[in-house]
Amino acid sequence: MEKKIMFWARECPHCRNMIPLVDKLEEETDVKLERLEIWHNEKNADLMRSFKDVIAPKCGGQLRTPTFFDTETNDVICGKVEYEKLKEWALK
Amino acid sequence: MKKHWRCFVCNDIHYGIKPPEICPTCQVKNAYVKTSSAEAETICGGAEAEKVDFNKDIFLEAIEKFTENNEFQVNPDREKVNLLLEGIFNNEKNHGLKYCPCRLITKDFKEDLKLVCPCNFLIHSTYKEKGECWCGLFKRRK
Ligand code: SF4
Repeated sequence: MEKKIMFWARECPHCRNMIPLVDKLEEETDVKLERLEIWHNEKNADLMRSFKDVIAPKCGGQLRTPTFFDTETNDVICGKVEYEKLKEWALK
Repeated sequence: MKKHWRCFVCNDIHYGIKPPEICPTCQVKNAYVKTSSAEAETICGGAEAEKVDFNKDIFLEAIEKFTENNEFQVNPDREKVNLLLEGIFNNEKNHGLKYCPCRLITKDFKEDLKLVCPCNFLIHSTYKEKGECWCGLFKRRK
């Protein structure tokens, strides 16, 4: 099943900035993101690592946070972005 | 391949492909001899070495000192810095090294050494474009 995931980290400032935008996105649209914290949850970290081959090439060769990842389309955004860009990714 | 080297005069230990030509501590030329990792570790952990328990304040002092003669500084946004220091120290406690709080380790040790803070952020696209390391801990001076 298609999932839209936000990989985030508890002490990552960009993630903190993006969380209110994700809240807004979920209020304004039908989209629901699975929010997975990766530094304090090994299962989530392993899941992110399992997508490394798809995510890393689109994020400077690394696993960065926040990463927005669509498991069906493999569309990826990483880092702090404008709301419109996030929405465009979510509604694609 | 990196190795351990010992200054035969003052016992400074160097870890690298080649030792420095002049020992930075005692200034003697051609003073380094290849040594075993066990010997290097014993000397580094020995009574003579200053024991520094790093907490967030000492680390902050260290990175501030590190930036002094560089084109970048520690971000003046202290709230952001404090959050990042929290993450760096949690990562050390939970994962063994002061890993970057905004990236994830791959579990390939050699690769993950690139994520130890401060990392070589001068090559980051964010530094080139916005003058900041990926997390924003370091910022180019205006
Ligand atoms: S990106 Fe910044 S905070 Fe992260 S490891 Fe590099 S220097 Fe440290």
